[in-house]
Amino acid sequence: MPALPSHAGDTSLVLLPPEAPDSAAVIPFHHGVKPPISPRFSISWSRGNSLRVSVFKQSPQSDAVTSTSSNETDGGRVVELKLGSAGDGGGGEIDDAAQWRRIAYGSVAPFALLQSRKNSMSALSRMSSSSSYDAQWWAYVLEYSREINSLLGYRRLPPGPAIEDPRTVLKRVEEPTCLKAAWELMEVFYADKQSQAWLPERLVDWLADFDSLFSGTQPTIHSKLLDFQEELVTLQAVEDDPRYWEAISSALAVGWLDIAVKLLRLHGSYQLNQLGNRETENGLVEAVAVLISKMPRMRSKSAAGNLGECFKSKPDFIKALEKWRAQITKLDCSAFWLQCGHHQTMEGLKSILQIMLGNASTLSASTCHWLELYIAHFIYIRPFTAGLESMYTLAQKCLQVKPVSRPHKLMKLFTGILGENTEVVLAECSKMIAHAVELLTAGSTQADIVLHEERDNLGGISIEELHRLVYAQFLSSHALTWQIAPIYLTSCIKQGMGLLEILLSKQPVHHNQVLLKNLEICRLYELERVSSNIMKVSYEWLEYITGSMVRKDLESSGFSKLGMNFQWEGLIELLGSDSRIAGGLEFLHKYRDFKRSLQQVHDGTATDAAQRAAEALISLMKNPSTPHRFWLPLLYDSLKLFNWQECPLLNVPQTNLLLNKLQELSMVRLRPDFIEADLPLQALSSVRLALATNLGRAILDH
Amino acid sequence: MARNGTPHPQPLQIHRLPQSKYIDALRWLPPISPFDRHVVLAAFNSDSDASSVEIHSINSKNPSETLTHHFSWTSPHRISSLKVSQTPQKPVIAASSFSGSFHVLFADSLDATIDSEVSLPENALHAGPISGIDLNESGSECVTVGMDGRVNVVSVGGSGVSYRKVFDSNGLASYTATKWASPAEFATGGPGLGVQWWDQRKCGGPAAQFKGNWAQKTSGIVHSIDIHPSRKHTCLAGGSSGSVFAWDLRWQQQPIILSGVGMGETPAQSLSESEVWEVQYDTFTRAANLASISSTRVLPAMICSEDGILAVVEQGEEAIEFLAEPCAINSFDIDKQNPSDVICSLEWESIAVLSRA
Repeated sequence: MPALPSHAGDTSLVLLPPEAPDSAAVIPFHHGVKPPISPRFSISWSRGNSLRVSVFKQSPQSDAVTSTSSNETDGGRVVELKLGSAGDGGGGEIDDAAQWRRIAYGSVAPFALLQSRKNSMSALSRMSSSSSYDAQWWAYVLEYSREINSLLGYRRLPPGPAIEDPRTVLKRVEEPTCLKAAWELMEVFYADKQSQAWLPERLVDWLADFDSLFSGTQPTIHSKLLDFQEELVTLQAVEDDPRYWEAISSALAVGWLDIAVKLLRLHGSYQLNQLGNRETENGLVEAVAVLISKMPRMRSKSAAGNLGECFKSKPDFIKALEKWRAQITKLDCSAFWLQCGHHQTMEGLKSILQIMLGNASTLSASTCHWLELYIAHFIYIRPFTAGLESMYTLAQKCLQVKPVSRPHKLMKLFTGILGENTEVVLAECSKMIAHAVELLTAGSTQADIVLHEERDNLGGISIEELHRLVYAQFLSSHALTWQIAPIYLTSCIKQGMGLLEILLSKQPVHHNQVLLKNLEICRLYELERVSSNIMKVSYEWLEYITGSMVRKDLESSGFSKLGMNFQWEGLIELLGSDSRIAGGLEFLHKYRDFKRSLQQVHDGTATDAAQRAAEALISLMKNPSTPHRFWLPLLYDSLKLFNWQECPLLNVPQTNLLLNKLQELSMVRLRPDFIEADLPLQALSSVRLALATNLGRAILDH
Repeated sequence: MARNGTPHPQPLQIHRLPQSKYIDALRWLPPISPFDRHVVLAAFNSDSDASSVEIHSINSKNPSETLTHHFSWTSPHRISSLKVSQTPQKPVIAASSFSGSFHVLFADSLDATIDSEVSLPENALHAGPISGIDLNESGSECVTVGMDGRVNVVSVGGSGVSYRKVFDSNGLASYTATKWASPAEFATGGPGLGVQWWDQRKCGGPAAQFKGNWAQKTSGIVHSIDIHPSRKHTCLAGGSSGSVFAWDLRWQQQPIILSGVGMGETPAQSLSESEVWEVQYDTFTRAANLASISSTRVLPAMICSEDGILAVVEQGEEAIEFLAEPCAINSFDIDKQNPSDVICSLEWESIAVLSRA
């Protein structure tokens, strides 16, 4: 967002390029400040995507009287401007801030668990190395990946009709999100090491779930099927329509067997009145349908309702595949085709057989974009993978057959993973990047090196740390998520703790609940220094509570006899004992000590308590942070100490110090900002008299 | 984090319901029938900076379904405390705000709506935020306390509200929590882990008070107080450093510590080390044999804490932990009519409904 200078001229800091005037957005806002308005504006970043603009009133000079006589007392306004609406909506993006927060909340526990497991595993591996260690580690990574995946979720759709239309081929599912698609793809490649052997089939499932996401930028089989499904209601004899056969071929090409079979069984020859004269034709259709549903697939288990026969081991699968292909070839060469009276049916079925036999040109014709063609290759031409490199070469070939002008971000991610291009992969992970790094470092040695390398251009931190810091920054920009940020910051070895301290000391403390929550974080992460700093910041807050209590205690001398003072004592305790942090706090501590010993003096007549009280008084009066207006109340409270029966409690220099302070006070009182304490009129003279008496006794004693 | 409590052994159903809003406080509404169960939420929408008091219904057969929104009243300020009277026909909802305003909402339990509302503006009752309120069972009187050191009693009538100042310490003392004990008496709590006992028939200050300086190593603030109707002489208080203690008016010098860090000579079990935000006597655990518990023994109490614990503590027994969340539990409420059910609000914009069997 380019900044608009408040007025044109040489003073503007950012010059808008003249060729791009349209890119400048004008955001009108209402500030409610009555003219004259000062030409000075203050603009700063606020939380998240907001700008804070301060508008000032022109300082009143001639009309000073009128402005004060009117009700308006404010000198300006601060307005928060929200820039840009969150997200562009559609396209499978998560644009709901609340949903992002839900993901952020939910991903804390899996992340923290994985970090602690990682630490304990690395401690273990130093002692012994075993293969069970690896298996255990992969189980942890997969558990983490699945937990994050479950958060990314689908967007909810309203519930569909209770009775399913037999003509509905595409099941009504919840709308997927790009983020989930990206995460699942990473899980397939990096986290789920145990099912690496079934990688092609996992990619088939992935495309089946997320092909609809590509519909926004290019034609897809999903959109093709959706369009055809709408036509289906109006069609009388589906087999006459070439789109019917196209739809079957396409669904089959990307391995959506159940849809292909369901469509095939809508063929007119299944109708009871037709069975008699279209017997052979129907037999052929059903034979193809059976062949499709018997297709051997190399995967651990099939999802409920999915067709095909599953094989776990490679030899079994190859045997079954050869047998199945032989059956197809046999059907292809059968004599029944000559008896088939319906030309479109024969053509359509023949082309379906070509797909099953892995005819490259038929596959290419049946698929819409290169990723679909790529998946089709895995199903019908090369059911095995031989490393990322060969998968990447195949992807390049498919891209040549079906080039894209503006590749979808998921396609970029796909090629990024295959090409082992760590930066590209990360760039497509959106806000889950800090979490995705965990999968990358776990799943790819090359990525592990790239991400953990300390880089000078990043100020000596690694890419992994950088992304965690960026994520923590994103979290801390919102009032409700900032409390999560420390989890991520503490996992950053180099910069984390420093930034955490800054984050904690920047948090506003409007209410004591918020303050206590901040202190709790400090306690958890053992940040004593920060907690004392927070307390320093909150000293202003405290000024309202403790300060006003102490002030009232001082100003209305004798009130403390009611025994109410324990509360501010507790508050001073709460603020910690580090007196270096704030002068005001030091004063409070000394004042507390003074009051405690004075209380003991009032309770009894122990000379040592009185001695302590006198020392506390001297230390208070010497302290430069003791406000002037408290001097007289403090001295007035100590009258009993100056007139102590047994012995003078203050020696000559101490008494002189207090007398000097009294002298100084008479000067200070002339200042216009001085606030008189609520004391009896004779207070000053009685203090002076008592001090003089004490001085006399001290000289004699000496 | 100290995890000293044992996990709850009995069957327990927990349903977590994400809200997309921060829940500042929540209460059960007294049910008009066993099937219509409603909760009142004080919600804060951070996207629109708007606060509201909302009435939702909970499907008691299947609470895993999200709450059904019935009614919401937009509050001008963020809610600091929320209380509900125990009058099923015409429940009264009292709410105070961090800006110092005070609101009384008259609900209609038949259609779960709010009929009318009366407010007192900021600075009428307190200078600064109102930190704690308590509404008596009939909903006719509400005591309010604040950090400014004022104690007020608001009378809620059919036509409106009126209030009188019980005490003003002029900022010398401050109060953060309060609870009625009888029509004339109530207790307050505040900084320094102190508890005060007030009798409206005696003016000029608290009738009795307990100084929190017994906790030498630590100090803090009392966040919540509860008084059991059958044990009016005992105040149950929860506050900083995981402290939960009972103060018996008959033995004012020594509190009975139920949980807490570094308290006294022999540290009691410590369920939590951070702020205990709310305490309530657990009427479910021993509802049947209440009479058999000696009057000197403290009744079982439920607590929720900043470090995510929802548990029941009992004097001399090991605590029972119901929830150990990764985030803070800011408030909870036990259904008075149906004490097996508990609702609590979690820091991460969600609420949890627990049913104990």
